[in-house]
Amino acid sequence: MLGGRFLAPIREARGVPLWVLWAGIVITLVFIVLALFAPMISPYDFDEYRTGTGERFGKQQHPSADHPFGTNVLGTDVLARVIFGARTALEVVILAVFFSLAVGLPLGLVSGYYGGRLDRLLVLIMDSLFAFPYLLLAIVVAFLLSDKIGRGVFTAAVAISVVYIPQYFRVVRNHVISVREESYVEAARALGAKPRTVIGRYVLQNVIQNVPVIATLNAADAILTLAALGFLGYGIQPTDAAEWGYDLQRAISDAGAGIWWTGLFPGMAIVTLVTGLTLLGEGLNDVLNPVLRRRPIQAVILPERQSRLPADQVGV
Amino acid sequence: MGRSLRILLLLGAALLVLAAGGCGGDDDGGGGEGATIIHGTTDQPVSYDPAGSYDLPSWNVIYNAIWGLLSLPPGGNQPEPALAESCNFDNPSTYTCKLREGLKFSDGTDLTAEDVKHSFDRNNRINDPKGAAPLLGSLYKETGKVTGDEVEVVDDLTVTFHLNRPDATWPFIMTTGAGGIVPSEYPADKIQPDAQAVGHGPYKIAEYRPGEQTVLERNDDFYGEAPKNERVIIQYFDKSSALKLAVENGEVDLGYRNLTPTEVEDLRGADGVEVVEGNGTEIRYMVFNTKLEPGNNEAVRKAMAYVIDRQAIVDNVYNGTVEPLYSMVPRGLAGHTDNFKTVYGETPDKAKAEQVLEQAGVQTPVKAEIWWTPSHYGDLSADEYAEIKRALDGSGLFDVQLKSTEWDEYSEASSKDQYPVFQLGWFPDYPDPDNYLTPFYRSDSFLNNHYKNEQVDKLLADQQASTDQTEREEFFKQIQEIAAEEVPIIPIWQGKQVAAVREGITGVADTFDPSFQFRYWLVAKE
Amino acid sequence: MAGTPHTTSLRTYALTRLALALPMVWILLTMVFLLMRVAPGDPISAALGGRVPAEQLQERREAAGYDRPLIVQYFEYLGEIARLDFGETIVDRRPVTKVILQNGAATLELTLVALIVALGVGISVGLISGRYRDTPLDIAGRLFGILIYAAPVFFLGFLAQIVFSQWLGWFPSSGRASPVTSFDLDTPTNLFLIDALIALDFDAFIDVLKHIVLPATTLGLVIGGVFIRLVRVNVLQTLQGDYIEAARARGLSERTVVWHHAFKNALVPVITIIGLQIALLLGGAVLTEQTFNWPGIGSELIRYLNNRDYIAIQGIITFFALLVVAISLVIDLVNAWVDPRVRY
Repeated sequence: MLGGRFLAPIREARGVPLWVLWAGIVITLVFIVLALFAPMISPYDFDEYRTGTGERFGKQQHPSADHPFGTNVLGTDVLARVIFGARTALEVVILAVFFSLAVGLPLGLVSGYYGGRLDRLLVLIMDSLFAFPYLLLAIVVAFLLSDKIGRGVFTAAVAISVVYIPQYFRVVRNHVISVREESYVEAARALGAKPRTVIGRYVLQNVIQNVPVIATLNAADAILTLAALGFLGYGIQPTDAAEWGYDLQRAISDAGAGIWWTGLFPGMAIVTLVTGLTLLGEGLNDVLNPVLRRRPIQAVILPERQSRLPADQVGV
Repeated sequence: MGRSLRILLLLGAALLVLAAGGCGGDDDGGGGEGATIIHGTTDQPVSYDPAGSYDLPSWNVIYNAIWGLLSLPPGGNQPEPALAESCNFDNPSTYTCKLREGLKFSDGTDLTAEDVKHSFDRNNRINDPKGAAPLLGSLYKETGKVTGDEVEVVDDLTVTFHLNRPDATWPFIMTTGAGGIVPSEYPADKIQPDAQAVGHGPYKIAEYRPGEQTVLERNDDFYGEAPKNERVIIQYFDKSSALKLAVENGEVDLGYRNLTPTEVEDLRGADGVEVVEGNGTEIRYMVFNTKLEPGNNEAVRKAMAYVIDRQAIVDNVYNGTVEPLYSMVPRGLAGHTDNFKTVYGETPDKAKAEQVLEQAGVQTPVKAEIWWTPSHYGDLSADEYAEIKRALDGSGLFDVQLKSTEWDEYSEASSKDQYPVFQLGWFPDYPDPDNYLTPFYRSDSFLNNHYKNEQVDKLLADQQASTDQTEREEFFKQIQEIAAEEVPIIPIWQGKQVAAVREGITGVADTFDPSFQFRYWLVAKE
Repeated sequence: MAGTPHTTSLRTYALTRLALALPMVWILLTMVFLLMRVAPGDPISAALGGRVPAEQLQERREAAGYDRPLIVQYFEYLGEIARLDFGETIVDRRPVTKVILQNGAATLELTLVALIVALGVGISVGLISGRYRDTPLDIAGRLFGILIYAAPVFFLGFLAQIVFSQWLGWFPSSGRASPVTSFDLDTPTNLFLIDALIALDFDAFIDVLKHIVLPATTLGLVIGGVFIRLVRVNVLQTLQGDYIEAARARGLSERTVVWHHAFKNALVPVITIIGLQIALLLGGAVLTEQTFNWPGIGSELIRYLNNRDYIAIQGIITFFALLVVAISLVIDLVNAWVDPRVRY
């Protein structure tokens, strides 16, 4: 039922929003496939530095048939690192979104539903977190954890999720507050439904509709944050995994030397994936959020547009 | 439509105008006609008070503006009189210096023996957390405490140092930044603010904006030969890539520390830029904790020494900007020997390594956990240790697991028995082999790797007590022999000093020597 | 809406809002303190580790007071902040207030110019996109917005450096001014553009201007990406508003409707958002400053962070936090003043 409610507007969507959505879905899917099947797709492992016969690839080699994206300063294949970087990015982002949801959603639900002193306290804490320069927060958390559990995917994910918890909390809480006043929820309460039932059955289902949009948009943002962490040297240890931000930082010194391929490809990977996720998020938003749907009256008044778009694509 | 488009057009036009304003051609610093040298670097100083710094970038300015009694001449590795006219050991633990007459500080006051005493005493008394008071251990019994008898003012121009033990390295210590002489007006128990730094040297510190620039201006009251330029601006960069571009575009005259090997290689071919190289004494090494697996077994340490591939690191990671190092004492220092080369050979020797392990009955592959840090020795540490892993794993005798943490945690944990094998680096306080042996091989080494050899301890004490240079070199030789035989540490490489200079800049090569001092007064423009 | 009740209620509102801001500041301060002290490492081992024995490090740490009970250090810190004394950095012994003034001015200068770029790009593209919804113009505008938002600042900056500095040689790649200019120029305000104007030094002004173009454009574009989206959505919403329809119904020309009603109204929320985006601005500034070697407060912060300079980091973050709280306070008050419905 939930799925139906969620999918229905997508089926109804037309025109630009649909295209935006599709472009997002395609780009994101490409990266997901890259991530899932990296070992099969990639010509080499991300830390491989020589051929089967033991010959080194060579350092900073120009793109060639053997290495379509060239090799980097470590003498590893750039294409392989870009592909495996997708894996790292998706691992981190999925974990990060999961963590921030796991914390932000329940807190937001409880805070919004019960209100009162607890709500005020939580709002205060979350607002403070929100006011904190986000990159700094991530850096500090990253190096706090790196000494306890190492500089891996998990550390990066936790560091990033700390940044997004307040956002989920805010959105969920505000939504809950408005839903709480809806007549059907009030009715349920009046009929003596337990708070857990009310939250679970009525509020949560309603709130959760918003989650995919925020989650995708945050995932896009999280990739940028991960890259920034890697760029500043607080990300994942390079021998553990391939990470675009780190590779980009290393490539900056190459680029000045005319070696453009070590930086361009990881950079393009970031831009493309973030664009894909943003398109996906915006597409979902356009489709799910009825506020901005075009009202027919406009199409009538603005003749130039009417002539360009067939009436059935105008929406609603 | 028209209106909004017009706005866009205007905006574009505005951008174009800005851009056009930008193409006014290269600016070359303007003004001084070769009188101003602009030095770009990524190294940033801590303090220009000799009592408050123990780092290369701070000392470098001190070397140029706040001289000590002795200094290391360009190209030489033995101390020579500077503010002092002469200095001599009366006996192995008493050292007397005679000051030059008529010296004045950059604020116009006279420089006397009283100032010398004040400078040393306050350094030890302040015992600043970032200062180099520990270097003065043979003068003061305890850091932070001064009895007043250690430095004796004999007369206005004569001063005697009463050392608490024979110390042949004392003259070297006086050449370091910790030996800089400051006026008695400097607070006795506090660090002097950098804006009011005073000293005697070829330059005066004219301005210091942390994170941006330090400006040195020629000191016309300097007793010696005048500098070949009028002013030096040291410009700080966060990233070497920005520094490299600045050199290329002529925004700075010379880029020195820390261009990456890739950048250096590219600058070699750049127009109007020349790469100057010189002997350097910065080293990297790998330490075994001799109590932890697998380094507690000498055979394992030896086997690693056999298969490590220094040349691969030099070529693949550093593009030849470093050289293989076969002893903790780098080439260029009196008393250096290549013991690791004679014992373990220049190229990896898998057969020998296998043999050593077999004789000791060690099962292969030997599991080894090797630690490195990404945040202290530069980005290339990652590549260097990847290369070490490749060499060790490639021999089939080892199974290496690389681990890393941030420097803060790393520097502590490595000396607390938490890392079995780990990376470290060193640049000298002064260019004497003692500074490359005592800190590492004495049984109370800061490495805390539990290496202990009484004979080494004795040899180290002997060389410090001797003022005879040839005798000391003999001791150094013996220590290096034992060190190569027992391998508590594997030396990896020794860095070259590398600068990229604009055409027309001369004199940089003259200052590149083992002392690691950058003498601005030798540098000239056109 | 008579004069007196209006002002009184505004004052009450301001006081309540201020009372709410205080605990927030306190939480922020505590957070900064805890994060810095729980994090491993300290300035002393950062500087001298690997050179002196562990016991000596410990001694020095004790001498500097870093081993005292946390709670003591905490109250000391709160006391200092209450007196607006941010202390002196450990790494290079500068009063933190000076760091904030000097380097903060550099960041302010960069951010202001970037904001102009961002507004220029954001508003023009956003307006066009919103006005010509779903046309190729709109799609191009949106895509442009998404792309510049999706490009990490450091990637964009790095491309700009390669193209405009290295290849074309139009602009310097880094710094605020060429070394000689920054030495020669008197800097009473620390805003170099203004300082150069005060000194009537035209060459210096051009030099400074050239230096600011690349970093400000880079940062401006990234922020502009957010603005494009915001302006567009606002234009869409206002174009659908009842009063727009009313205006249209009154027979006003489409151009008048769009310009005089829709766009103006669409811009109001944008101005509010600029204030709220201060955290984004500062985050972007850190990365931009790193890329262009801009001696602003962000790059200083990273430098101090790498050296584990508690005092400096605490001071700077505290300042940021206070700034963010103060700005949101001001925005709320302005909103309350403009729109009395907010006060309840």
